[in-house]
Amino acid sequence: MKVLVTGATSLLGRTVALRLAERGDEVTCFQRRPSATGLTDHLGDVTDAEAVHRAATGHDAIVHLAALVAPRAPWRRFVEVNIEGSLNVVRAAAGCGRLVHVSTPSVAFDGHAAMGPGTEPARYAGRDGYARSKAIAERRVLSATTVPTVVLRPHLVWGPGDTQLVGRIVDRARTGRLALPRGGAALVDSTYVTDAADALVAGLDATADPGSAALGQAWVVSAGDPRPVRDLVAAILDAAGVEPRWRDAPGAVASVAGAVVGALWPGSEPPLTHFAARQLTVAHWFDQRRTREVLGWEPAVGLDAGFAELARSYAEHPVR
Amino acid sequence: MSTAVGGPGIRQLEGWGLDPAWSRIVDVTTPDGRHRSWHVLDNGAEPTKGTLVCTHGNPTWSYIWRDVLRLAPEGWRVVAVDQSGMGFSDRGTPRVLAERIDELVAFCEAHTSGPIVMAAHDWGGPVTIAAAARLDCRALVLTNTAVALPDGVKVPPLIAAARSAARVVCEQTPAFVEGTARMTGREHRSALRAPYRGRDRRHAVAEFVADIPVGPDDASWSALEGVAAAFDAFDGPVLLAWGGRDPVFHERFLADLVRRAPQAQVQVFPEAAHLVTLDAPVAEVAWEWLADLGSDPARPVDPPDAEAVAGFRPVTAALVERADDTDLAFSGPGGTRTWRQLAGHARHVADHLRAGGLTRGDRVALLVPPSADCLAAAYGIWMAGGVVVAVDSQLGLRPMRRLLRGATVQWTISTERTVRIARVVGLTPGATHLVVPPLPPHPSTSTDAAPERPPLRPDDLAAVVHTSGATGPAKPVRYTHAALAAQRDTILEQFPIGAFTTSFAPFMLIGPALGLACSLPDDVTPGALDFDAFAAASAPAGATTAWLSPAAAQRIVDTAAGRTAPMDLVMLAGAPVRRDLAAAMATVTGADVRAPYGMTEALPLTDGTEPGAVGPLGGTCTGRPLVGVEVLIDPLQPGGAWGEVLVSAPWMRAAYDRRWALDRDSTDVVDGRPFHRTGDVGYLDDGRLFQLGRRLHVITTAGGPLACVVSEQHVLDGTGLVVAAVGVGPEGAQALVVVVDADRSLALADLTTTAAVRGACPTPVAAVLTGRLPVDVRHRTKIDRAALAADAASLLGGR
Repeated sequence: MKVLVTGATSLLGRTVALRLAERGDEVTCFQRRPSATGLTDHLGDVTDAEAVHRAATGHDAIVHLAALVAPRAPWRRFVEVNIEGSLNVVRAAAGCGRLVHVSTPSVAFDGHAAMGPGTEPARYAGRDGYARSKAIAERRVLSATTVPTVVLRPHLVWGPGDTQLVGRIVDRARTGRLALPRGGAALVDSTYVTDAADALVAGLDATADPGSAALGQAWVVSAGDPRPVRDLVAAILDAAGVEPRWRDAPGAVASVAGAVVGALWPGSEPPLTHFAARQLTVAHWFDQRRTREVLGWEPAVGLDAGFAELARSYAEHPVR
Repeated sequence: MSTAVGGPGIRQLEGWGLDPAWSRIVDVTTPDGRHRSWHVLDNGAEPTKGTLVCTHGNPTWSYIWRDVLRLAPEGWRVVAVDQSGMGFSDRGTPRVLAERIDELVAFCEAHTSGPIVMAAHDWGGPVTIAAAARLDCRALVLTNTAVALPDGVKVPPLIAAARSAARVVCEQTPAFVEGTARMTGREHRSALRAPYRGRDRRHAVAEFVADIPVGPDDASWSALEGVAAAFDAFDGPVLLAWGGRDPVFHERFLADLVRRAPQAQVQVFPEAAHLVTLDAPVAEVAWEWLADLGSDPARPVDPPDAEAVAGFRPVTAALVERADDTDLAFSGPGGTRTWRQLAGHARHVADHLRAGGLTRGDRVALLVPPSADCLAAAYGIWMAGGVVVAVDSQLGLRPMRRLLRGATVQWTISTERTVRIARVVGLTPGATHLVVPPLPPHPSTSTDAAPERPPLRPDDLAAVVHTSGATGPAKPVRYTHAALAAQRDTILEQFPIGAFTTSFAPFMLIGPALGLACSLPDDVTPGALDFDAFAAASAPAGATTAWLSPAAAQRIVDTAAGRTAPMDLVMLAGAPVRRDLAAAMATVTGADVRAPYGMTEALPLTDGTEPGAVGPLGGTCTGRPLVGVEVLIDPLQPGGAWGEVLVSAPWMRAAYDRRWALDRDSTDVVDGRPFHRTGDVGYLDDGRLFQLGRRLHVITTAGGPLACVVSEQHVLDGTGLVVAAVGVGPEGAQALVVVVDADRSLALADLTTTAAVRGACPTPVAAVLTGRLPVDVRHRTKIDRAALAADAASLLGGR
């Protein structure tokens, strides 16, 4: 099977491209910069409908991850990349036959603790450009698509080689600048990267089954193993061989979204949006029973083995 | 029928949660040819199962039946009417009760077909009951209403006040309407006020009040007498769904209705007030009740055969037989009593009650603290044919008052002190108080005219006792004399019991029934019993058996300091028992230590052998089910090895008192035998029953249900830490959270402890916390896991 993966420069995009190639699929990676996967690259921008169409030609399916993840980009850019870009992919997929659209649980986040199925419909409520544009994209993809489509919402993906979440936490802790809002008590679910990639592969296979219950719907993907943020951070630091040290950000300060980001990721370019950081201060975990049932997927690695993998990776590439 | 011209607007109806399609105006023509225009809420369904006609009282309207309409099952047509001059019906000339009855009959004849069921509230009750007698009405659902003023009850002050100034209170000002609206939640008030805005809209409200007959001179007096007679004659099914906090139609009105319709099934909602259909799930209960009417009766009741009645040996038998015995029967607070003294005192109590007019089945509240007098009073009540109503004073005055009022006792036996409290606080309105001590022989006992003491029958109600409230609101439980006698026989036959002492005061009541001496420590408050008090309490009665709560046992062990207090048998009851405690108690007493399983609704159920032994699925061993007990396990998921424990025994409760829905939900009939759903989870292994805690405390993870005590045992075994395991999150996808006991407020545990707990637990642990484990006041050993789970969820929910 020939599969086009968009956005293969990200941790999850790269991993899913390699996963598909490992099992014998013919994979093309589509993004602006080389993917460094060793697979065929087709460079281009999702905002360029013609480029997307050319890249997709001859493929049997598209796995669409490319997106603008930025804290302070102009709304126009979010619309171009996350909404119109996705619709370009939907149109191109019409010629391929199948589509997996990668979304985010943030589309249903309304600022309150979320505990449950996680299949709530996308809302446009968030003031955050990323989440709002992804919510609109998700709805429009589902209504516009003409081919078997599955939407997946992987939650808080991490793993070896992750320069964003894992890399930043380790960096801040090493330099004594890591702070956890409210002691990191919020219970959050997360996903080890190969487990998330497997779920995407399972979603792709579901699009080949006309009777699959997964079709035409959005599904949260996570380990189904929530832990307090503090425990996740401690496990990451332990894997990196860094002393588990952090400051406790007072509640009043932490409740201000901007301050949260400042505490966790001070600097000009936080890796996560204010909105995403806010998600980390309230409980966020999911009932995975239905997702697992419809995808026929289970996390093969899980959190604890994932942390061991992370430790192995840091042992090979120690933090200086 | 026409649409609702002049009725409430569509927007208004929707705002009140009413389907605008229900709202109609209909014509009602009485045989005298007079027309009225009525507003009704009618779901218009095809009545393949039946039609329910609902009638409101004053000053409300059909809105109060909203949820009954909303929840109507397939095949049920529901019509809730607005009476003449009320709600959104036409205003017009005033009506008296007889006219209102005629109108309702005319409405039903013209606008319903086939048999009907009728529901009513407040003064809609008399209208409905009289109408029902003239219609093909198969069943009645009555809520906070009356057919007569019960004996000894004065006209409720609120009604009296409204009546004396009806024009001012009810018509010229909205005081009556407003006062009624304020009896329920805010969300209902706009709907309740709407039809009565403006004094011209309230004329009928005042007329209705003025029409309430309080004496033979009143216009509607004979009509109301007819209503009472019609109700007495009604032999169809009746459901009385009652708000327990109604200042107007209070419990004594309920008791009057129960007396008139002994077949009635009663559901009291203790927290609901006058507008019970709005305050409580009356609709849910009523529909369940109506559904049951079409199927088999819920509970088989075998009347005892004549032989069983003739040979019946009630719990009072041993005391009567030993009336000349000068051996010690009791020692404890209030001194010692021989059998002769105790029997004499009990007889005096019985004679006073009978002479005072107590009839069989009258309820008598026992307001005497645990003592010799309390014991004599209880047996005196039984000898007289009364029903002992017992409420634990440790619950506090407010809950006590609610429970006692809910039981509508006709009598109390009190002390000088408790009778004062009862009067001041109004514990038992209308009850006659009998004060002990001293209670001399009743004068009539010295003559031939001694009040006759009737023989007790097995199916006579013996007691209404209340659950501790440690695991939810206290529930009233009914026991028959047959059950108490069977309990006595089981204890005598299946346990090597002798003269006993107990830390649990109510257990002393079983002593005279067993024919065994019993003793109480001088201070019976929980936590007061230490080794010295225990030894002192055991000595006078020569106790060879001790009946203790685990908390008391723990304290005795902790204060023994190497001393021993020899016993033959120690029974630990009231909460699960740990193995180390059972072993320590065996060391201190040298006794056969048992921890039999049981609860207020059925006690005892197992022989309590191997106390604290851990079974293959974890949990606590409670021994083997006693002969006569049947245990069923209802798995929480198909094929599950453990589940809710259902028990059946001849000595279990009869029913929950005036809690029809609770009784129905808690009783399963299997092969014609009633089983009590215990709310506990457990399993049977090799003939032994293992307890896994409360069903409410089961953690429902995505991987399946998890009994909290199993996780707690794993952590204790693996780390030595005392913990409580709770579930956080939505049912079916909960996360397991383990809380390590520590004297601090709830917070994340340190990383080392977290790792250790995760390592000891075979199931995934989402979070490890440390903090104080809340325990209930009564048992001191039961962790309030619901409160703990809420605190944990709040902490882990973040912000």
